[in-house]
Amino acid sequence: MERQARATILPFDPEASQLRVGLEIHQQLATSTKLFCPCPIVKSDELPLSFERRLRPTQSELGQIDPAAVFEFNKGRVNLYKWNPESACLVDADEEPPHPPNMEAIETAILMAQVLGSGVVDEVHVMRKLVIDGSNTSGFQRTAIIALGGALPVDGVSVGVQTITVEEDSSRVLKEGAQAREYALDRLGVPLIEIALDHVVGVPEHVEAVALSLGRSLRSTGRVARGQGTIRQDLNVSLLGGQVVEVKGVQKLNLIAKVVRYEATRQMGLVKIAEEVKKRGITEVECKAEDATAVMRGTSSPVLKRILQKGGVVTCIAVADFAGLLGLEPFPSIRLGKELAEIARTNGLGGVIHSDEFVKQGISEEESVALRAVTGYDSNAGLVLVAGESAERVETVAGLVVERLRKTPIGVLGETRAATDDGETRYQRPRPGAARMYPETDIPEIVVTEEWKRSLRMAMPVSWKEKVAAYSKRYSLSEEAALQLYDSDNSKLFEELAAKLRLEPSVIASILVETPVRLSREGVDESKVTPEALTSVLVAVDGGRFAKEAAVDVLRAIGKGDARDVDEAVSKLGLTGMSDEELGKIIDGVLKRNKPLIEEKGDRAFSVLMGEVMKLARGKVDGKKVSKLLRRGLDEGR
Amino acid sequence: MSGLSGYRGPSAKILTEAGASIGDVLEVQTGGESVTGTLVPRYEHNDDSHIVIKLKNGYNVGISVEKVSKVVRVAKGEAPKFVTPEKVASKGLPRVSILGTGGTIASRVDYRTGAVSPATTAEELYSLFPELSGIASITPEIVLSVYSENLEPKHWETIAKRVSEVVAEGVSGIILTMGTDTMGYTAAALSFALRGLPVPLFIVGSQRSSDRPSSDAFLNLIGAATMAVQADFAGVYVVMHADSSDERLAVHLGTRVRKNHTSARDAFESMGVEPVGYWSRQGIQVTEREAPPPRGEAEGFAAMPNFDPRVALVKFYPSMPDGYLGAILGSGLRGVVFEGTGLGHINSKNIDQVKKFVNGGGVVCMTSQCLWGRVDMNVYDTGRDLLKAGVVPLEDMLPETALAKLMWALANCKSADETRAVMQENLAGEITPRSVQRR
Repeated sequence: MERQARATILPFDPEASQLRVGLEIHQQLATSTKLFCPCPIVKSDELPLSFERRLRPTQSELGQIDPAAVFEFNKGRVNLYKWNPESACLVDADEEPPHPPNMEAIETAILMAQVLGSGVVDEVHVMRKLVIDGSNTSGFQRTAIIALGGALPVDGVSVGVQTITVEEDSSRVLKEGAQAREYALDRLGVPLIEIALDHVVGVPEHVEAVALSLGRSLRSTGRVARGQGTIRQDLNVSLLGGQVVEVKGVQKLNLIAKVVRYEATRQMGLVKIAEEVKKRGITEVECKAEDATAVMRGTSSPVLKRILQKGGVVTCIAVADFAGLLGLEPFPSIRLGKELAEIARTNGLGGVIHSDEFVKQGISEEESVALRAVTGYDSNAGLVLVAGESAERVETVAGLVVERLRKTPIGVLGETRAATDDGETRYQRPRPGAARMYPETDIPEIVVTEEWKRSLRMAMPVSWKEKVAAYSKRYSLSEEAALQLYDSDNSKLFEELAAKLRLEPSVIASILVETPVRLSREGVDESKVTPEALTSVLVAVDGGRFAKEAAVDVLRAIGKGDARDVDEAVSKLGLTGMSDEELGKIIDGVLKRNKPLIEEKGDRAFSVLMGEVMKLARGKVDGKKVSKLLRRGLDEGR
Repeated sequence: MSGLSGYRGPSAKILTEAGASIGDVLEVQTGGESVTGTLVPRYEHNDDSHIVIKLKNGYNVGISVEKVSKVVRVAKGEAPKFVTPEKVASKGLPRVSILGTGGTIASRVDYRTGAVSPATTAEELYSLFPELSGIASITPEIVLSVYSENLEPKHWETIAKRVSEVVAEGVSGIILTMGTDTMGYTAAALSFALRGLPVPLFIVGSQRSSDRPSSDAFLNLIGAATMAVQADFAGVYVVMHADSSDERLAVHLGTRVRKNHTSARDAFESMGVEPVGYWSRQGIQVTEREAPPPRGEAEGFAAMPNFDPRVALVKFYPSMPDGYLGAILGSGLRGVVFEGTGLGHINSKNIDQVKKFVNGGGVVCMTSQCLWGRVDMNVYDTGRDLLKAGVVPLEDMLPETALAKLMWALANCKSADETRAVMQENLAGEITPRSVQRR
């Protein structure tokens, strides 16, 4: 990937504003069993068993409870775990202590450490890292540092490696609600390798290039899982030396730059809002929350009306001298009001309504006056309405909103956010304290001997660059095609098919790499374009059942569910092949129709004619054959 | 914490030379590299050739002493200060006593060093379980500090005596926290020692350690505290999770409960009977079985806390050597409880040995290793011969319950004959006259 000189889309200079992005990659390993139990790694479609748990924050020696932990527990959340014995066991259900670790996973991490020149620790200690959002049944994630330090070369620059850890993956989220979450245990405990890099300064596209390069290095070990959801990137973003925001779960590589841009813009927006607060002479934000249910009883605001009809309550928070600040947009769609709404949504309410959008929300001037009367603040104050059916929930959210508003002068707050599918970030929870790890006493320490390391050095993988070059040479692929193939999920399948089929490797590569991308862009479900479907299509093309040009149509039919398999797709698409006689007729027709063109352009008319014949043959014949017969026809006609 | 807990040999030497103690911030240099972090304790069973450092990011890493070129003490560690939570006023609420015996129902983690320590004061308990202050006025107390597997009859005596004192002081209910390994034995023992207890005593523990957010300790304790105030019955019960979910607790009669799983939350089961009832946040639901005894007056209650430990529980198995049984019977015991096969048998060749022991004044009782069902020694010859030899059949009494009961009976009866009679009498629900539950 080319590094772009400067991201023009950022509305400010990333280097001058000290935009820093630390990248953490979480990659599933292709081990046969989970990290701390011998369960196979399979996705279960049926989850017949279930249990419910509530995770409680535990207390540290200092009498303090982790803020993120309290936040989760305040939500009073019940977690429902569903599972299938084919993919989970009592270890995953937190009903049995962990078994000894999967050594294959530890070895892969040591291998990776050797690829990146990291120092492997002499004794591995598995830790418990508190995570009480429910994604781990135990309330902690088991994780261990395998190596420290090292460097990743990217486009001639070296990016420092902080740590290489092995950890267990979390449960798969089935359903997310404010009061209850549903998880599947099939993914819980799958070994992940986590590589944390030093932050890079500046350009969002560079961050993406770094991630791509690290992903390629990981794949070079041949020991990582492929496919959707097997790699996740976390980004630690900060600017102007401010607090670090952790953005979790960027699933697609090509979203990284977009997410960084959004998050950086959001942070700069908050800085600008903080500047405006200072300009107004506010050093301490003064907030007051009052019950406003009675005041809003006759409102024509559709949102509030609906809530009040169901017996809900409204709390009004007045913020002194904040009029105009809640809806202020330093950059498009970056507003303090949006931040507050996200807090409300995370805590089970639909959002908030603030005074800068009263008109839009159907709140009348009289109501606005009445709300100010209730709170005792003048028209310089900003108002935030928190409403919901549960009084308790409204109180909790109002408290969190007040807390957030009071911190406005700080600008950016250190918090954990989730990356969305459209490249934005969404508030999740306060950033957990650093000191929330303690030893996993159920697992003995693992001593990494020099001998062990030496034997693994023998198994050092070939670098991805060498692998790509080898592809290109061995299969006569262009460098770009070879790299695309290496990056795709189907490189192994390619090797298998290239050995088996008579088709040109470039044809196999193009069908394996380009077709899934093309269909995905058309909106066809990627997961339906399975390796099995790709294989059967290529075998059919190889056997001359239909032309390679028709492969995409066949796969589209299968991907869309229009056909169950290749046979059905062939018959539905009418690709049952074409006799030479039929093809000859088509060619004759085309030659006749285009006589003037042929006379005018001679051989240069070939491509036009070819296109026309192919269109009429609709993928029933191979392009090469058409080309041969057409050429003959042209020559004969002369 | 100070000193070099767990370090010995070469690792202790290098740390001592650097003047380092647990909790200090050290820079450990190895060749060209160095690692900086907090020195954390090492476990006794670990080797003596690694130093464990907790990095700033919270992870522990072990560094081989062989590679260490220098250890520099960067900063002295500060002992963690526990901020005592504010006293919670729960005046006017019924008093509930929590007696601790060694299991950690509540603990704090020192993330600085990784140490886990139990919560011992009421304030700490309230701060860990804020709900408690709304349920009862809690008086926590550490009676013993013994792992469950190390508990002995003398400890049961200590507990029983302390319980009767607490009852005399006037409480609405008592919670006994302990490790789960021998919880069933303790429950049975206390059921006999505290017969006629006028308040409920709930034994609780945790199958999943209390330092983890998913621990079952939380619900078990909250449920027991609520019932200590609200239950309209008295007696000795084990209160643990009814299933894998954090929702329902089962209340098991002390004489009919058994730990049937090594690690799962719902390890404890009532054997041969339904649990007495279930607790959930919705309330207590007593099952339709023989009603548990109602609460009584503290006045007039007297514990019978003594046990005679000279009893063996012997599981008979095919090929049990004669010498093995002989050694047991000849070791100065006063009683033996057999876990026999099927309806209550042992190899017929051993009957003479048993007969000799009984004739010498010993008491021999029979339970079944089937655990489900009742012994019946009239069906087969071997059974009839054992009866003739003086073996006491204990119906559907659980082997562990029979062991505790025989220890108690021997300490409180005047003769072997009286002991045999008491063993066959249903005193605390340990014998059910009718077999209703299959399994």
